[in-house]
Amino acid sequence: MTAALKDRDLRDTALEEKLLHARLAHTWRTPPGLIGFFTTVDHKRIAVRYIITAFAFLFLGGILAMLMRWQLSRPEAGLIGPDLYNQIFTIHGSTMMFLFAVPVMEAVGVLLVPLMLGTRNIAFPRLNAFSYWIYLAGGLVLWVAFVLDMGPDVGWFAYVPLSGPQYSPGKRVDIWAQMITFTEIAALAISVEIVVTVLKQRAPGMRLDRIPLFVWASFVTSLVVILAMPAIVLASTMLILDRLVGTHFYNPSEGGDALLWQHLFWFFGHPEVYIIFLPATGMISSMLPTFVRRPVFGYLALVLAMVSIGLLSFGLWVHHMFTTGLPRVGESFFTASSMAIAVPAGVQIFCWLATIWLGRPVWRVPFLFILAFFFTFVLGGLTGVMVASVPLDTQVHDTYFVVAHFHYVLVGGAVFPLLAAITYWFPKMTGRMMSERLGRWSVALLFLGFNFTFFPMHILGLQGMPRRIYTYQMDLPWGGMNLFVSLCSIALALGFALFAFNAIRSTRSGEAAGDNPWGAATLEWATSSPPPPYNFARIPVVSSANPIWDQGQSLPVASGLSVNRRELLVTTTADAEPEVRETSPGNSIWPFLSAIATTIMLVGSIFTPWAVVWGSIPVAIGLIGWFWPRGTPEDDS
Amino acid sequence: MKPWHAAFLTLLLLAGCKREQRQYRLDPAIAESLDRVEVLPVGINGRPPRVITITGDPYRTNAYQLSQGKRLYAGFNCQGCHADGGGGTGPALMNGWWRYGPDAVSIFLSIRDGRPNGMPAFRDRMTPEQIWQLTGYIQSLGATRASGAAPSRNDAMQTRPAENRAPAMSRLPSPYEGGP
Repeated sequence: MTAALKDRDLRDTALEEKLLHARLAHTWRTPPGLIGFFTTVDHKRIAVRYIITAFAFLFLGGILAMLMRWQLSRPEAGLIGPDLYNQIFTIHGSTMMFLFAVPVMEAVGVLLVPLMLGTRNIAFPRLNAFSYWIYLAGGLVLWVAFVLDMGPDVGWFAYVPLSGPQYSPGKRVDIWAQMITFTEIAALAISVEIVVTVLKQRAPGMRLDRIPLFVWASFVTSLVVILAMPAIVLASTMLILDRLVGTHFYNPSEGGDALLWQHLFWFFGHPEVYIIFLPATGMISSMLPTFVRRPVFGYLALVLAMVSIGLLSFGLWVHHMFTTGLPRVGESFFTASSMAIAVPAGVQIFCWLATIWLGRPVWRVPFLFILAFFFTFVLGGLTGVMVASVPLDTQVHDTYFVVAHFHYVLVGGAVFPLLAAITYWFPKMTGRMMSERLGRWSVALLFLGFNFTFFPMHILGLQGMPRRIYTYQMDLPWGGMNLFVSLCSIALALGFALFAFNAIRSTRSGEAAGDNPWGAATLEWATSSPPPPYNFARIPVVSSANPIWDQGQSLPVASGLSVNRRELLVTTTADAEPEVRETSPGNSIWPFLSAIATTIMLVGSIFTPWAVVWGSIPVAIGLIGWFWPRGTPEDDS
Repeated sequence: MKPWHAAFLTLLLLAGCKREQRQYRLDPAIAESLDRVEVLPVGINGRPPRVITITGDPYRTNAYQLSQGKRLYAGFNCQGCHADGGGGTGPALMNGWWRYGPDAVSIFLSIRDGRPNGMPAFRDRMTPEQIWQLTGYIQSLGATRASGAAPSRNDAMQTRPAENRAPAMSRLPSPYEGGP
C-alpha cells in the first residue's frame, strides 16, 4: 500500500475506477461471521434482516389464522377452547399489525430510500441497527409468552376495562403493552432516520419535485409515525401503571376515564392504518411506470394526495368509536372526515389508472399483483365508505363485516403491493430474479384465495355473526358459509407458501439479474444488483424525476468524497445542492448491547416498577459506549 | 448468546408455568375431591385435600384463580360485613388477626360451614372450587409482600391499597397491641 492510500483524506478524484471500488469496499465493509452479524450498520443488510423477520412473523400469524378457520369451520367444534382462542386472535392481530405490517413497510423503506436517493447509507445507521434488535426482542417477548400459555387475550386493541386491572388478571396484558413499547421504539427510530435521510442526503440535483414517489411515501409515513406513536406510548404506559402501580387513569370511579383509552389508542391506531397503506401506495407509484413504460401520470397530484392522507389520518380516529355513545356533532364530523379520505385515495387510484391507460403494459408478476391490488383495495375502500356512516356502522359494528372490510384494505391495500415490491426489488436484495412462472401461480392463488375467503365474511357479518367468537351453535345459519371460507383459506395459505418457496428457491438458484433488469427509471437501478456496501462508487447527479430514462444508464457523477473513511454527501433541503461532506458512523456492537439492556429493562418493568430505575443503568452504559467520541473531524463543508 | 437465551427462557418458564394457566371447566373428579378436607374434631382446622397440592396450589399462586376469588368476594357480598377487608360487623381480614388461624383450610371451613356469631355457611351457595378461589383471595388481602399473581385494583372507589401493591399492613401487629 502506498503512502497516498493511507492518507485519511484521500479523495475519489485521485483514484482510477478499479482502485476506487477496492478502497470503498474496504472502507464500508462488514466484517465476516458473527462479529459482522452483530455489529453491521449497513442499511441493506439490516433491511433484509428486518424483512425476513417480518415475513417469519407473517407466517406465524398466518398459522394462527388457519387454526381459527379450522375451529370455525363447523359449529360447536372442539379444537380450540375459549381461552386459547382469545389468545390466538389477539396474537394474530398484534403480530400482523405490530410485528409484520408496520415493520415490513419501514424495512422496505430502509432498504430502498438510501438507494433511491443515491446516498451511501441511511442517516443514523447505528440507530437503525438498534431498531432491528429492539423489534426482534419485542416479537420474541410476545411469542414466547404465547407459547408459555400466557399470551395476551384481550384483542389487538386491548380495550379497558377488559384489559384493565380488574378484568385481566396476571401478566398477559402487561406483555402486550410492553410489546407495543418495543415496536414503538423500533418504528420511531426508523422514522427519524428516514426523515433525515430524505431531507439531507439526496443526490445532487434531486429537487423536491424529482424525489421518487416511494421516497415521498416513506417520508410522509415517517412523519405520521412521529406524530402518532406518542399517543400509544402514553396510552400503553398509563395502562401498565394502572395495572401494576394502581393508578387510576382509566378508572371512572376515581376520576379516570375508560373511553380515554379508546381515544388515545385510535389516535394512534387510525394513522397506523395509513402507516401501513401509504408506503404501499408509494411502492405502486414507483413500480407502475416501469410496467407501463411511461412516467407516472400526475406526480404532483400523487404527492399531494399522500400528504393529505397523512394529514387527514389524524382527523378520523373516532369512527372506530361510533357505538360508544358520542355527541351528534362528533359523529357527523367524523363521518364527514372519514368519507373525505376517499378523495385523496380516489385521486391516487385515478392517477394510476391514467398511467396504465396511457402506457403500454408489460404483464409481469409485480404488475399482476398491482392489478390484484386495484380490485381488492377498491372493494375494501367501498365498504370503508359504508362503515363510515354511523347508522350502518352501528348495525355491523363488531361483526364479520368489519373483519372482511379491514382484511380487504390491509391485505388488498398493503400486502399485495408489498408482494409486488418484494418481487420487483428482489434483485436489489439478492442479485437474482424470482421465478416468473411460480410468481404467476402465487398471484392467482392469492387473489382468488383471498377474495373467496374474505368476501363471504361480508355476508356473514350482515347475517349477524359477531367477531371474536370461538364457536357458534348448530341452529345458527352460518355453518355452510364458514366451511366455505375455511376451505378457501387453504388456497390463500397455499398462495403465501408458494410465494415463500419461490423467494427461498430464487435466492439460491434464481436467474442472475443485471443492474437494471426491469428497465426502470430510478436511482436504485443505477448501481449493481445487489448493490456494493457503499451503494454508489461516485454519487450520481440527477436532473430529472426519471433519471435513468432521461439521462441514460450511466449517470453523471459528483466526486470529491474521501475513500478512506465513510463519507457521504449532505445536500440542501429544497434543491439538493451539495452542502457538506459528512462522516457516516462505522460498525459497532453498542447498538446490540443497548438493545439487550433496553429489553431487560422493559421486560423487568412488567414485574416491578423498580426495573425502570435499576434497568436504566445498563441502558445508560450502553448509550455511553455508543456515543463515545471518536476524535475524528465530524464533517467538512 | 446461547446461555443467555436459555436463562431468559427458563425465567419466563418459571414465571409462566402455573401462574397464568386458566381452566374454565374443572375435571369433575377434581372438582369433587376439592371438598375432601380432613377436618379436626374441633371443627376449626384440618388438612387440605391432596388434590390441591397435586395441582400446584393454584388457589394461592394463580392470578386467574385469585381474581375469580375477588369477583366472588363482591358477588357474595362479603363486603356487607367485612368491608373491603377492614372489617365491619364482621372481623377484619387484613390486619393479621385470624380467629381460627391464618391457614387456608380454616378459612375454607369458615366459609363452607360458617362460624358462630353470624358467619353464615356457604356450603349450598358455592361450589368447593369457588370457596377455594375465595379462600385464596382472602389470604392475599392482608399481604405483606407484593405478589405478581395477586389481583390489582378494581375499577371502583379505592378504600385500600391494591392487593398486588403490598403491604396492606405496614407490619404485623404485635400481640400486645390488642386484637379484635
